[in-house]
Amino acid sequence: MSYLIDIILIAVGAALINNFVLYYFVGICPFIGVSRRVDMAFGMGCAVTFVISIAAFLSWTITTYVLMPGAPLSKWIAGFFVPADVAAKIDLTILSYIVYIFAIASSVQFVEMYVRKFYPPLYKSFGVFLPLITTNCAILFACLKIMGNIIGVDNPADAWDLGRSLTLAVFGGVGFTIAIVIMAGIREELDLCDIPKPFQGAAITLVVAGILAMAFMGFTGVDSGLQKALTSQAGASTAENKNADINVGMSKFIIENQPIDENIPKG
Amino acid sequence: MVKQNKIIEPEATGMLKSKKRGYILQAWLVLTLALCFGASLAGVQLTLGPTIEENKINETRQKVPELVLGAEKAQKIEEQGQALFIEPHTISIEKPGKKISYSVYEARLNEELIGWVLKTAGQGYADKIELLLGLDPQAKTITGLFILEQKETPGLGNKIITEAWRKQFINKDTGRQLIVVKKGTKALNEIDAITGATISSRAVTGLVNTAIGDLKGSLVAKASHNQPTKDE
Amino acid sequence: MVDQPTPLERFVQGILPENPVYRQLLGLCPTLAVTNGMKAAVTMSCAVAFVLLCANVITSLIRNLLKPHLRIVIFTLTIATFVTIADRFLAAYMYQMSKTLGPYIPLIIVNCIIICRCEVCASKQSVLTAASDALGQSIGFALALSSIAAVREILGTGMFFGWRVLPISWPDWVIMVLPPGAFLTFGILLGTVNWIGSYRSEKSGNR
Repeated sequence: MSYLIDIILIAVGAALINNFVLYYFVGICPFIGVSRRVDMAFGMGCAVTFVISIAAFLSWTITTYVLMPGAPLSKWIAGFFVPADVAAKIDLTILSYIVYIFAIASSVQFVEMYVRKFYPPLYKSFGVFLPLITTNCAILFACLKIMGNIIGVDNPADAWDLGRSLTLAVFGGVGFTIAIVIMAGIREELDLCDIPKPFQGAAITLVVAGILAMAFMGFTGVDSGLQKALTSQAGASTAENKNADINVGMSKFIIENQPIDENIPKG
Repeated sequence: MVKQNKIIEPEATGMLKSKKRGYILQAWLVLTLALCFGASLAGVQLTLGPTIEENKINETRQKVPELVLGAEKAQKIEEQGQALFIEPHTISIEKPGKKISYSVYEARLNEELIGWVLKTAGQGYADKIELLLGLDPQAKTITGLFILEQKETPGLGNKIITEAWRKQFINKDTGRQLIVVKKGTKALNEIDAITGATISSRAVTGLVNTAIGDLKGSLVAKASHNQPTKDE
Repeated sequence: MVDQPTPLERFVQGILPENPVYRQLLGLCPTLAVTNGMKAAVTMSCAVAFVLLCANVITSLIRNLLKPHLRIVIFTLTIATFVTIADRFLAAYMYQMSKTLGPYIPLIIVNCIIICRCEVCASKQSVLTAASDALGQSIGFALALSSIAAVREILGTGMFFGWRVLPISWPDWVIMVLPPGAFLTFGILLGTVNWIGSYRSEKSGNR
């Protein structure tokens, strides 16, 4: 249940509250470049969502099994050459940026080839955007966020699993699509307006995006409310006694204490 | 057909050869570059890696004396040249449906336990709030609060980092749950909300309550567990 | 043969006439994301300048060996390496700043300015020209970033580089340091730059 709540919160957070374009400013180039017509914007959004999911899958897998300090695959390979205790400490995090960018570039290439070969109509509708996507910051940003939630956490137990990572990526892509489609809709109307000449094109798009970002700021705080609503519901259904009594005895807990260095004298 | 093939052949192989050589040259170029870059990255990691690790650890550790002893006393101790002995632990708590892990720092001065610092994080108004909470050895009163990370609204929610607001938590009894009130505190367990940022204030207070509720038992157990060893 | 631009020409061109942000609309992601304070903007500009300079010099050194199909791969490899170095360096010596900039430092890899300069300039010209081009472009980028950051920080917090410049009675326009402020400020500044540009070209045209 708490896992489901987590997933919902990540999804809402990525798509609306911390929208990739309007909050984190990633993927601005296509947001300004390809938002002239709604159908093109939608095609771009779909392409980004598609690629971002694949990139997230790749980056989660690579980070967890190869790059992370003490990752199983690199530990196993290094185990042949160096003693086991050294192998367990191998940390390839420094390579992560290079690995991610090549994972993205190659997955874009493969997706393009695959789609062109097997789904020509699909390729016609959004294939043209695929090469552009490699340099779209949104994809790399999703990978970096996932990495931050795997490597950057204090306790290994808090590291994101594949489900959470994919949710972030897919709904980040959905958020991108929402933003770019709304923008395209506004710009189609803007064509009919009398805009001062220096502001035509990118400048007015940015100002409109500013107003759009203001509107999206209205979603801030939705997640804490949602979390409260969901947990209280879940708490009621499982009859979980939620913090009612703070003076609970220690018998309630299973204490697993792992001192990091072993110099505590044991009485 | 056959004749034609024979005529074309030498030329084709020649072209193929030069093309092949081009590819091999390119491959060598990429390989050499990759090697150079790999070596430079390894060098960077070796020289800067320890500093980065230290930065990460120091970020929380530097705050421990102030959180446990209060700013004045912490400075006095530093002037005297004494250093706290800080030991990190991980404490896991099993709750219905999930397992939560906390980082806990044990602070000792001259072999004597003087307090605990807990690190906890949770959803704030805008994004995650990460904070450090200082407790006395018996986990009876709060000795300090520090916000490590927040992205609350500037000018409103981000006032949770101001000392004036954080000060309210000091000397609060952990026996009773802290409550956020809007207009002036009356009871001892009340925290004054920041004007216009009740949600952020509630989020921080809620995090403090949950962390104390989760860890009080095990901290008390650890404190009494460590006590006899000192006498031995 | 196209006549080769001199190093000085490339340097001057990059600052205003071919400003990467205002004229070419490249590298908008950091332009908007890290400009809520001058310190962050300046650090970001330095990181971009470092990566751009190194990438341009390396590309220019190996320009005769490059073949089209592998060019982009080599560019990406070079850029990613230098970005990693810059990122580690920041994490080691400016830890708080590297936390503030967060993912935007690694996002320099996909910053169009760098790959564009490598492709357009450095892969065709001598090392000196490439380096001066990189310097000019990074000064242009830094100017753009600091112009936006100055507006946002002064209006949003009443401070400049952390020093108070507006009276304490100034009601902070919080919106300026929030995401919408970035879009609004940049949009209006871009419009103004376009307007000045068209005004000047009109004037010289009349003469």
